[in-house]
Amino acid sequence: MAHFQIRKGRDIKLKGAAEKRVVGLPLPSKVAIQPLEFRGLKLRPAVKEQDLVKVGSVLLTDKYNPDIRIVSPVSGKVAAIVRGEKRVLTAVIIDTDGRQEATIYPPYSKDKIGNLSREEILSRLLEGGVWPCIRQRPFSKVANPHDTPKAVFVQAMNTEPLAPDIDVILKGREEEFQAGLDVLRKLTPGDVHLCCDAKATSPVSSQSKNVRIHQFSGPHPAGNVSTHIHHIAPIKKGDIVWYVRAEDVLRVAALFLKGVFSPERYVAITGEGADRRLYAKTVVGASVSSLLEGKLKADMRYISGSILVGTNAGQQGYLGFYDSQITVIPEGGKRHLLGWLNPGFKSYSFSKTFVSSFLPQQEVSVDTDINGSERAIVLNHVYDQYVPLDIMTFFLLRAVVAGDIEEAEKLGILECDEEDFALCSFACPSKVDVGAVIRGGLDEIEKEG
Amino acid sequence: MKLLEKQLKKIEHLFEKGKPLEKFYPLFEALDTFLMTPGKVTQRGPHIRDAVDIKRVMVFVIIALIPTTLMGIYNAGYQILVAKGLSADFGQCWLLGAQKIIPIILVSYLAGGVWEVLFAVVRKHEINEGFLVTGLLFPLTLPPDMPLWQVAVGISFGVVFGKEIFGGTGMNIFNPALVARAFVFFAYPAQMSGSNIWVAVDGFTRATPLAVAKEIAKGQPVLQGLQDAGYNLSNMFYGFIPGSIGETSALACVIGLIFLLITGVASWRTVAGSVFGMLAMASVFYLLRGPDKLAIFALPPHWHLVMGGFAFGAVFMVTDPVSSCYTDAGRWIFGFLVGVLTILIRVVNPAYPEGVMLSILFMNAFAPLIDHFVVEAHIGKRQKFLSKTI
Repeated sequence: MAHFQIRKGRDIKLKGAAEKRVVGLPLPSKVAIQPLEFRGLKLRPAVKEQDLVKVGSVLLTDKYNPDIRIVSPVSGKVAAIVRGEKRVLTAVIIDTDGRQEATIYPPYSKDKIGNLSREEILSRLLEGGVWPCIRQRPFSKVANPHDTPKAVFVQAMNTEPLAPDIDVILKGREEEFQAGLDVLRKLTPGDVHLCCDAKATSPVSSQSKNVRIHQFSGPHPAGNVSTHIHHIAPIKKGDIVWYVRAEDVLRVAALFLKGVFSPERYVAITGEGADRRLYAKTVVGASVSSLLEGKLKADMRYISGSILVGTNAGQQGYLGFYDSQITVIPEGGKRHLLGWLNPGFKSYSFSKTFVSSFLPQQEVSVDTDINGSERAIVLNHVYDQYVPLDIMTFFLLRAVVAGDIEEAEKLGILECDEEDFALCSFACPSKVDVGAVIRGGLDEIEKEG
Repeated sequence: MKLLEKQLKKIEHLFEKGKPLEKFYPLFEALDTFLMTPGKVTQRGPHIRDAVDIKRVMVFVIIALIPTTLMGIYNAGYQILVAKGLSADFGQCWLLGAQKIIPIILVSYLAGGVWEVLFAVVRKHEINEGFLVTGLLFPLTLPPDMPLWQVAVGISFGVVFGKEIFGGTGMNIFNPALVARAFVFFAYPAQMSGSNIWVAVDGFTRATPLAVAKEIAKGQPVLQGLQDAGYNLSNMFYGFIPGSIGETSALACVIGLIFLLITGVASWRTVAGSVFGMLAMASVFYLLRGPDKLAIFALPPHWHLVMGGFAFGAVFMVTDPVSSCYTDAGRWIFGFLVGVLTILIRVVNPAYPEGVMLSILFMNAFAPLIDHFVVEAHIGKRQKFLSKTI
């Protein structure tokens, strides 16, 4: 077991953590699958509106690799297939019927999993609809089943602001988790790396077998996949690494042990705008209003995921496929007189230009205000202290903006993802969205192959 | 406050696309966001943003310049009274100094501001707050008796050729305020160098400490020579000596530096690098001192810190994040070489008594090259590391 102490980065201690108590929520009346989340796939609907579906029924298939399918997490009726600009598919919404009838595949016993071939495992993962839980680096897209990754990373920690504690989710489910790891073990000739928080208490983080366990401690982004990969098996050009979130390892396990697509999703309900902050047990794609038990407020932002990398779901929105957290924070947008003169007793900043920076750290309340307008980058030394990778952020940013792909690759863009620069985007006084620029560079590289 | 917001809202439409004042939108934006925070919200992750913005950063640099500016005003008046042989009345010093210095600062802001707005309008970008700093830095590098029209020409040159032709804020290679100063330095040598320009009294001549030190004959004790000319460590540190408006008081610069470092606005590495570089090079000359060497060789290294424009340059010019190095290693090298070059010019160059401006500009030109090597080394190190991993 190796231990990595991450020093660069910063924790944003936001008000509104979830109480560590799991409450089962009633099945939401509507759930949605949002195709744009599955990066790298070009999804086409396999159902029509009004079709009846079961848990595990195919909703969408990939145009280029039809074996990759997205399945329904609930039984019910397809209420709407929503298209956005340029007829891009944005959501498949399903009215639940509450019965949760499921498509069932032959289950395997725990011991049998070890005897399955890689092909058998692949085909089960694909047909069962669990495949999209496996993603690849570089490019953070859904894995291609024809690739052979050099390693598989299991992300069993999350350091995002107010992130759910994975111990709560994994509690008492060690055997299932081990079965899931055994499945993943078959996918790579290399190692399966289980990356845990050094403070984790779950037996999973010390007793899992057939994997290499690593512990990380330090501020965010110590829990990011890029951080783990960088310190354990960094990506060279041509390398492919797959990664799975610990919650999804349970979904993998269920597909083999029970033969069903397990729709369950634990969600930490967080943020000062949420009334009841706890861990909710619900289903994949649950509606925001079901998670907040209908108590929606105006002037609040409903984020699926964390404040750093989540998506603005809105009151009418749905939980993202990969999200185990919902954050509710106040919307900003109020104008203040002579803001640049404000001594800032209550302002939140990484910089030392506010009185609050010198006061004892407390949990902070932050709204969605940009707090300034976009300007040319002047302070180029602010970024690197938040990136625990061997990356010169400003130079990488500049190479991408200049369209110099070759230089960007040399500077290590393939090791990164947008989320690794979320703290830089937060802290940038010029209000440049560093992560979005880097993501643009990755897209460009991917397109050029 | 609501009233102001309403008023701004009321006139905003005049500057929108297709409206008569469309072209002047940058001007409206500058005024609008100067008076009130923009109040825009994030669209995607990260959903929250740091409370700091460039406006605040630049305002903090201005705050750091306040001690220097006040000292410059007071000292300008003080020097006039001393030159005239009058007693240095506290109020008189302020009054006379303000009469001399305030117009210079105003002209600098006004003339430079016109160019700034013009470029923002033509290029359709926002007015960058960095100008607030450039517009104050430049006058502080001038002698107090500078003709106002030369101030205007100088800042115009600095803004246009120091910054805008490179593409504007953030893209400039040289520090615009120093470009402006270099321009007037070479274009109007009569008003920018010599011994009769440092005190705003006609016909009054008094050489600056560096000029004095350089003039002392070989083999003569340099400290004695400075003492005879009325200069000692303490009055040079506090700044009650003739010189450019902002440069005389090392104390005021140190106060500004402490403020910049506490607030994290300036990089301490460049400042530390330049102080080390200066002390190292000055020590070399100090060790080489002897009866056959120039008298200035024997100047103790720490004297250089408080003489001339070094303190001002090291605190406010070297630390310009855009025209110095962008890598941590580069910042050390950049600062160090600025210090070394400054001493070289001061001690052995026969033409100029002071070398801070030229050495910073020279190193500005080399900063991208230094960074290039640092980044290449970083890439090499990465590749070596990656080739060792599985």
